[in-house]
Amino acid sequence: MMKDEGGKMVNLTIEGRAVSVPEGTTILEAAKTAGVLVPHYCYHPGLPVAGVCRMCLVEVEKAPKLAPSCATTVGEGQVVHVYSEKALEARKGVLELLLINHPLDCPLCDPAGECELQDYTFQEGRADSRYHEPKRFNPVEDFGGDVLYVTNRCILCTRCVRFMEDVHEDAVLCVSERGDRATIGKAPDADLTQPWAANVIDLCPVGALVSKDFLNKARAWELDRTASVCTGCSQGCNNVLETRDNVVVRMKPRSNEDVNHFYLCDAGRLDYRWMNRPDRAEVPKIRLHDVLSPVDWDIAIQEVGGRMKGKRAYVVASPRLSNEALFLLKRIVKQTGGEGVFRCATGPEAPLPGVKDLSLRADRAPNVRGAELLGFKRNDADPLAGLKDGDVLVLADESLGGLDLSAAKKASAIIVIGTTLVDGITPAVVLPIANVAEEEGTFTNLRGRVQRFLQAKTAPGLARPSWYALADLATALGVPSDDMHLPSTIFTALAKSEPAFTGLSYDTIGLRGGLVAGATAGAH
Amino acid sequence: MSHGPSAPAQAHGGAHAHHVPYVPVFTDGSARLKELKDIISRYPDKRAALLPALWMVQQERGWISEDAMREVGDQLGCTAAYVKGVVTFYTMYHQHPVGKHFIQVCTTSPCLCAGADDVVKAFLEHTGCKELGLTSPDGKYTVIEVECLGACGFATPVQINEDYVESVTPEKVPGILAGLK
Repeated sequence: MMKDEGGKMVNLTIEGRAVSVPEGTTILEAAKTAGVLVPHYCYHPGLPVAGVCRMCLVEVEKAPKLAPSCATTVGEGQVVHVYSEKALEARKGVLELLLINHPLDCPLCDPAGECELQDYTFQEGRADSRYHEPKRFNPVEDFGGDVLYVTNRCILCTRCVRFMEDVHEDAVLCVSERGDRATIGKAPDADLTQPWAANVIDLCPVGALVSKDFLNKARAWELDRTASVCTGCSQGCNNVLETRDNVVVRMKPRSNEDVNHFYLCDAGRLDYRWMNRPDRAEVPKIRLHDVLSPVDWDIAIQEVGGRMKGKRAYVVASPRLSNEALFLLKRIVKQTGGEGVFRCATGPEAPLPGVKDLSLRADRAPNVRGAELLGFKRNDADPLAGLKDGDVLVLADESLGGLDLSAAKKASAIIVIGTTLVDGITPAVVLPIANVAEEEGTFTNLRGRVQRFLQAKTAPGLARPSWYALADLATALGVPSDDMHLPSTIFTALAKSEPAFTGLSYDTIGLRGGLVAGATAGAH
Repeated sequence: MSHGPSAPAQAHGGAHAHHVPYVPVFTDGSARLKELKDIISRYPDKRAALLPALWMVQQERGWISEDAMREVGDQLGCTAAYVKGVVTFYTMYHQHPVGKHFIQVCTTSPCLCAGADDVVKAFLEHTGCKELGLTSPDGKYTVIEVECLGACGFATPVQINEDYVESVTPEKVPGILAGLK
């Protein structure tokens, strides 16, 4: 890890490539800067160095023996060989020993295809085994929470033990027994039900710790992976949505040192099924003779325009909508002299103790800060309080669940812009929109970091991305928005007119995010 | 897995069953607590007293239960998981109840040549344990094989609790058992 940017630099040669890294950097990390990945199991950049797997052995010229590159710091003028005959031979031996008791059950093992034991064995291991004795057998153990421990596949790298001890700071795992009988043990009566415990599944380099949720659901190589942002709370953890046949089947963390490091909480990672719900609003509808009838998008948009003429738009927006959608809604509110409000579900916080400023946040929506910056007023208890007689009530991805809906009767018309129909109200127009997995956009997290999410699957029926539907609607209401034909152009317009977002664009924020004006960087 | 002191006493059960409530060893004012505090005082780190603390528990309770791991962890400021790692690392800590007389027969090469196998068989038969690592139905005996007891000149040595019995032959076994109190 590069700790001290201002410190002394050390020059060395790794695999013939000259690199210059800060003093104190390990050879393994220095090799990454040279584009060389030293095979390793126990080492993980987010965990303390253990040096137990011996897989990262490299040859350092003039050193008497091979060095574990994860635990050896760089020295001036060192010449390191990762793929020398001696180093390869040593690692081949490590792999052979790791596989002695390994069941080689890749065909029925979930992490096959994303397994480092498989990868490195394929890369530099023996083609066969010289071990013909019976293999050790231990039964599968339920570790509680989402975690299943398949003992036989374990290589005892202790990443899970160190994560629970040093990052989660609830040391419930240990190495139990010794020698060839050693396994990962769990403290008496403890379960891996801690709020961030399922990260041990991602940390496990082999198939020993597997997710019950994902068990036997898909093969790793069948999945399409899309960079996204978790919508579970206002932390805005970076994630990867993994889809198969247009269905989200798993959510994994995506590393971002400024937000979530390598982690994703259990509540977030298991909250993806709603993205696949089949009971969606799929077709634009307008009320004709008291019946909601499917119509073309153009007709539906015109209908909204007609209903809104001369009326105030009272917009109840969801803090799960993107900055782009909220920006367009703000324009509609401004044009009609209306009002924009939102409410947000809350829950208990659950911090990850070992990482600064990382927590499952109380606000359980990804864009609360964005909604506030764009002028929406928060009213958790009664978002309909400001609704006046004759207003057009616009429900933007907000279902008003759990609220007294009698206040909605004041509205002259109700427009639903959402992924589903809304129970208990009679809309004049329904505009079906895509959910977060089906469109592109940005969220602003609680520290003011604007982060992009990309489209992982297609929306059902005629549903359109929220920015698309709202840009058309704004245009119909006389706000010139027809030059906004991409989320990126909408964001450019947003950055131009909203001081907080000045200087940001899709290009500058990239996939790591960019800070709004006045925000200070969060976790480091 | 079933040939060692770690094996659960499934088949015969045991005199000590799991559902018996755990009685703490290091209670306020007890001699054991005083002893433990004395040991702790010799080291810069409380955890250094872990092995002696576990020995005390085993002497008092006969084995080290999960409740005991928690108690020791609380006493020494480490987690129950850490204690479990240590308890399971060493084979001489019992993770399951064992008989009142814990009989360890040396079966390493010289003793094996001197007929240690038959000594093991004799113990299993006369104690009623039937299988290595299991406890006899009366809860009195547990028999296991061990590696070299360092008494090759007196093959076959047998360690019963803290005591050595040397030059054991199958014929001597009933007499040895009769002499146990």
